[in-house]
Amino acid sequence: MTLLAHAIAPSPPPAFAHEGLRGRPLAWSEAGDLGLWSTEWAPDIKLERNDALEHHRLVERICAAQPCLPVRFGTAFATPDDARASLDKRAVALRAALSRVAGKSELALTLLWREPPTSTPIESASGPGRRYMEQRRAEFAAREARRARAESLVQHVIAELAIDRQLVWHETCTSDNVAVSLAVLVPTEQAGERRMELEQIGSRFPDVISVLNGPWPPYTFARIE
Amino acid sequence: MKELTAEDTSLLELVDRLLNKGVVLAGEATISVAGIDLIYLGLNVVLAAVETIEKQERRAS
Repeated sequence: MTLLAHAIAPSPPPAFAHEGLRGRPLAWSEAGDLGLWSTEWAPDIKLERNDALEHHRLVERICAAQPCLPVRFGTAFATPDDARASLDKRAVALRAALSRVAGKSELALTLLWREPPTSTPIESASGPGRRYMEQRRAEFAAREARRARAESLVQHVIAELAIDRQLVWHETCTSDNVAVSLAVLVPTEQAGERRMELEQIGSRFPDVISVLNGPWPPYTFARIE
Repeated sequence: MKELTAEDTSLLELVDRLLNKGVVLAGEATISVAGIDLIYLGLNVVLAAVETIEKQERRAS
């Protein structure tokens, strides 16, 4: 039997009457004042996309019941002893991370470019080599301008939210479509209100479409040093 | 550039978090995911994968 990890939480666990993935038993492995929720899995069963979504729903339920740190999907332990040893090894960092995210949820804001990147053909009387180089230079300049605009969008969002920068994570220009992918850690009881604020901020930018998700478990902020 | 819908974006952001965020308990076994190209890849690569799948579907139809 393998344990497929879902979330780390403080012990003792609350009464939690849920099954694991695919109706399999949900296990609690305790190590001191911490524990790991996991599904009793069989190593020969391959994980599929639906298992990832079910993991998400289960982590949501665990986080609604107690402070929890989501574990990266796909992490498995051969035995409960291995799981406990892993928690023991990182107990100090895990406790610190748990207190950082306790009572908080993640909101995700994605800003998508409305227009594809511009690539104006270069008109030049000179030869093809020169034209090629000028084209490359124009494309590079356009990419840099987009990157600068994306960064300015991020700064704008952070300023308008008036939030501590440590509670914000972001990436810019991760693909031709995406200007900004941003996550904010907010108190769970304020998540609805903060979500509305983010929606309003995102809708004011003329060159991007904003897509808002969450509140989610604090995936982005569940990291240990 | 393929236009992404809000639904595409939401799913991709979620999948990105499940596969790339959360506590990493380093040194432990990681079960392979069917469609292995999804695991450990960032949102940009996941986006590219979706575009490829959709192109294939368009060709097939």
